[in-house]
Amino acid sequence: MTEVAERQDEPTEASSSPVLLELRDLSVRYLAAREELPAVRGVNLRLGAGETLGLAGESGCGKSTLAMSVLRLLPRTATISGEVLLDGEDVNTMRWGRLRTVRWASASVVFQGAMHALNPVRKIYDQIAEPIQLHHGSQVDQTELRRRVLELIDQVELPASKAEAYPHELSGGQKQRVMIAMALACEPRLVIADEPTTALDVIVQAQVLALMSRLVAERGIGLIMISHDLSVLAATCANIAVMYRGEMVEFGPSARLLEQPEHEHSQALAAAFPTIGDPAARFKPATSTPLPEPEPDRCVGEPVLRTENLRVDFRDRGGATVRAVRDVDLAVAENEIVALVGQSGSGKTTLARTLLGLQQPDSGRVYFRDTEIPSSARGLRGYRRQVQLILQDPASALNPRHSAYEAVAEGLRIHGLTDDEPGRVARALEAAELRPAERFMSALPHELSGGQKQRVVIAGALALDPTVVVADEPVASLDASVRGEILALLLRLRIELGLSALVITHDLGLAWNIADRVAVMYQGELVEVGTVEEVLLNPQHEYTRSLLAAVPGGTYRSGPNGECAH
Amino acid sequence: MTAGETKPAESARSIAWARRRQAAGRVWREFATDRGGLIGLIVLAIIVLLAVLAPVLTNEADLNVTTTELPPRDPPSADAWLGTDRNGVSVLLLIWWGARVSLLIGFSAALLSVFIGTAVGILAAHFGGWPSTILMRLTDFFLVLPTLVLAIALAAVLPRGLGTIVLAIGVASWPTTARLVRAQTLTIEARPYIERSRALGAGHAHLIGKHVLPAVLPLVFANTTLVVANSIIAESTLSFLGVGDPSRPSWGGILQAAFSSGAATQGAWWYLLPPGIGIVIVVLCFTLCGRALETVLNPRLRGQG
Amino acid sequence: MSEVLTGAERKLDADDGGGGARGAGLVRFLLGKLGGALLSLAMVVVLGFLLFRMIPGDPVVTMTKGRPVSAEQLAELRERLGVDKPMWQQFIDYILGLFRGDLGTSYIFQRPVADLILERLWPTLLLVGVATALAIMLGLWFGIRAAWRRGSGFDKLSTGTALTLWSMPQFWMGLLLLIAFSGAFPSGGMRYPDTPPDFLSQSLDVAYHLVLPCLTLTAALYAQYLLVMRSSLLEEMNSEYLTTARAKGLRDDLVRRRHAVPNALLPTVTLVFLQFGMVLNGAVAVETVFSWPGLGLLTYEALSGPDLPVLQSTFLVLAAAVIFMNVLAELLYRILDPRVRAT
Repeated sequence: MTEVAERQDEPTEASSSPVLLELRDLSVRYLAAREELPAVRGVNLRLGAGETLGLAGESGCGKSTLAMSVLRLLPRTATISGEVLLDGEDVNTMRWGRLRTVRWASASVVFQGAMHALNPVRKIYDQIAEPIQLHHGSQVDQTELRRRVLELIDQVELPASKAEAYPHELSGGQKQRVMIAMALACEPRLVIADEPTTALDVIVQAQVLALMSRLVAERGIGLIMISHDLSVLAATCANIAVMYRGEMVEFGPSARLLEQPEHEHSQALAAAFPTIGDPAARFKPATSTPLPEPEPDRCVGEPVLRTENLRVDFRDRGGATVRAVRDVDLAVAENEIVALVGQSGSGKTTLARTLLGLQQPDSGRVYFRDTEIPSSARGLRGYRRQVQLILQDPASALNPRHSAYEAVAEGLRIHGLTDDEPGRVARALEAAELRPAERFMSALPHELSGGQKQRVVIAGALALDPTVVVADEPVASLDASVRGEILALLLRLRIELGLSALVITHDLGLAWNIADRVAVMYQGELVEVGTVEEVLLNPQHEYTRSLLAAVPGGTYRSGPNGECAH
Repeated sequence: MTAGETKPAESARSIAWARRRQAAGRVWREFATDRGGLIGLIVLAIIVLLAVLAPVLTNEADLNVTTTELPPRDPPSADAWLGTDRNGVSVLLLIWWGARVSLLIGFSAALLSVFIGTAVGILAAHFGGWPSTILMRLTDFFLVLPTLVLAIALAAVLPRGLGTIVLAIGVASWPTTARLVRAQTLTIEARPYIERSRALGAGHAHLIGKHVLPAVLPLVFANTTLVVANSIIAESTLSFLGVGDPSRPSWGGILQAAFSSGAATQGAWWYLLPPGIGIVIVVLCFTLCGRALETVLNPRLRGQG
Repeated sequence: MSEVLTGAERKLDADDGGGGARGAGLVRFLLGKLGGALLSLAMVVVLGFLLFRMIPGDPVVTMTKGRPVSAEQLAELRERLGVDKPMWQQFIDYILGLFRGDLGTSYIFQRPVADLILERLWPTLLLVGVATALAIMLGLWFGIRAAWRRGSGFDKLSTGTALTLWSMPQFWMGLLLLIAFSGAFPSGGMRYPDTPPDFLSQSLDVAYHLVLPCLTLTAALYAQYLLVMRSSLLEEMNSEYLTTARAKGLRDDLVRRRHAVPNALLPTVTLVFLQFGMVLNGAVAVETVFSWPGLGLLTYEALSGPDLPVLQSTFLVLAAAVIFMNVLAELLYRILDPRVRAT
């Protein structure tokens, strides 16, 4: 990391190393797409041998299209103009035979979502061995091949036994390691990593990033890494290019771009993921509409939602009992936002579902204002007016056939609150900051942006005047610039309406942005509960510390560039 | 204020209707881009229209075997464009009237089959536990029965008639629809918006009525056209095997009469070809329509165009 | 930090390394499937018994059709067939008979049904076996190529042909072939009576008779397999791992042969087995048209009686065949797909 850091301040264009990849006025347009704008517009870029470049941008900005054009892997509907010079040779004009030789041998790809990028019915060994056989087939005999594949598996820190495994037998992180081993198989000079860690947990993400940076640096391989998360890129790459609507809007050394972004879109990206411990970000998620000042003498009221020794068990396919939630005591008070933090599989979603009565606990109790929540269908209906759910992916949390009006009115109709329905819907939409409400009422989900969809979901919850909302990863599938807006909305609802919230997240920055207290969940247990400052700045439990250490941007105290790579 | 309140209420309803109109328009536009489906629909419309208008356009009395003046088994001529059958009735007329029977049975059997299948499929998917197990067990059982033999048996057991054939085909063919609907319901029920609705307090009726049915019905509709095609073939096969309604010959029934009177070995092609071609055209049109609809309505296939 | 992490990773390792559990899973899977199949079979037996008993008509009258018989003879015949006993008694006799391999006596043929079935079984096996094998080869070959070059002239032609064939009633397709080739091939039966009894002549004679029925059944089945294969490969072609394979530098046909086709074959093969009932439907129609002396023709002949013992036995045998094929499909899928194997 350090030697990369030293090179940071030199502009890449002036670097003395031979040019590995050069894009000249590259544009890509999809035939079928109705958008007038091409996916990529006039991008110029140079990457020297062994250099690392991060490509940042939100979904649909053209960053993946750009990456795929390097190996000419775009679908047939794409028309490409400009040049893609790989080692001085234009990929776009190569003959098929030449292109096949260049693919993987000169440049390889670590695809997004290794889940689908690996062939589900072939063994790991065969999939890693395939490119070696293809590109060096004549020089490699079976024993040599075996040695090299096992060496690769070893280098990505997987046990040799995994060679005989099928993809579905591996965890997400392990699959991504296999993808990395595969990418390195033919010793390419360039590796393109397309959101290599997006679907992974924080800790696994840190491991995979560290592994990839190490292997790339050791071999002097050039790296282009694509991500929506600037801090991830800053932790791995020397330079960062920011893309917005198909254009490259800013280019510069990582540290500079993270700290002093110039283009307003880069600023939005940089502000989206706060540095934990940074006082400037506490109770101040990045938003364009100013937040009310946090009241200094705020009183957190009585607990409204509370669990007592809650336990939920599942049976796995083998018939063994899995403890999803073990003896959890958690309380959310009036006028308070609690963040429930943990990695996937830690039981946090099960806990949320149990709180909402969607899952029956095996033992223990859930109280709403000192009364135990009923288990009968009728009783639950009443309870569900008080406690509302906001889901992770607003795109799938809304029925694609229902307009925003119907989505918001659904809860009202279920509970028979039909007097002045349009007025109630309009007020809920406005409370969720969809103004003017009339403009959004007839919109179908696919006509709305990700942030607007999540606001409709929130409006649907607000329409019933709930006391508490349980939000399950409310911003995890939203673009970075929208993230801050939605968090600001939750915070504003708490300040203005006194709405309590339990926010489930894997993202510690979110807790720092809006939460009052944090509960850390690990393997079904709450290992640490306390105020945000206590838990995040002075973590007691080892797991909390490892979570904090894995945050790519690092924490405020340990400096902006953290030591996450190790 | 009252005026202000009623206006949005109306607009709420009109929003829903505008949305439905819009969705229907979109489906139609996408459907119209599929040339095969469009041709199929047009041809079907013509055939159905002709079949419905048969009593107006033709004289039913000409079907009467006792009053016909044409020679039996006569090749096509100016009097009978498609020749005559063993009794001297015009084959064209037979086919014209046979279309009514074939289409009627095809539609009714498909409706019955799809109705049973959709009900079983949705119930089995929505309510888990033992009711679902029993329903699926039953579906699997009907799925392994040789449908044709089962239909033959049913048709043989019950009194002869159109109703019997409809029942036999319907009862023998619902499990495929049930499986399809169950699978589709399961994917819908796994969507987070069902969870959201449940968290809002929705009961079974609301979930099925507002979310599951509207999402499943388009696919059921596309499936129905395919089931109609299958039912018409099944009907013709049953009639050919001799369990049809002899008083009102369908296309299969005409073929059965032709076969049993030795038309195949005597080379009376005008007696054998036209009813079969009729079946092929109608079935092909239904299939083309069904496939086009499926492509438009099934999001999983949409990527393939 | 590291301790917690390795703990988490170790948990994952433990998750996927259960070799012993997998073996136990297979046994449980097999037992479950066999149990289900036996239950289905039992239900078929009951249904077959009840269903055919509801067919109107007096079996004794059927048997003695056209012959002058006295009332005493009829009564004696009733007693011998057991049709004078109450229904439950008949059912018990029937079940006991099943276990002894006794399926009763045919009313029409006046022979043990078990013998009849055995005699008629192998022509059906021959017809269905040859036609299915041909149809699978043709259907998969054309289906793969049609999907791979979607929208091409080849795709349009082969899919169009398949759709048209699929829209034809199989018996009518048989009738067409009968008219077209009635001079070149025999129009019915399985062998000429005057063929020399040696094995070669007999085989050639059967093969000669087999051509038309087999062609009919193959045409109907191949169309279906083509459509299934095509759509399952089309679905597979959107998969991201094919982009990986292309990025590795694989030739187009290698991407297809090595990656896309094996994955697309899984659902196709299963479907081929699961839809065995359709094959049998086709066999009944085709055998009737070509008087091919198999189980289908036997069913058709028994229907004219109605010949109860024969009908319920062919029903049972055909259903058992479909049940067997279903179990085979489940097993095959488990063997072929590692994802299913593990669970």
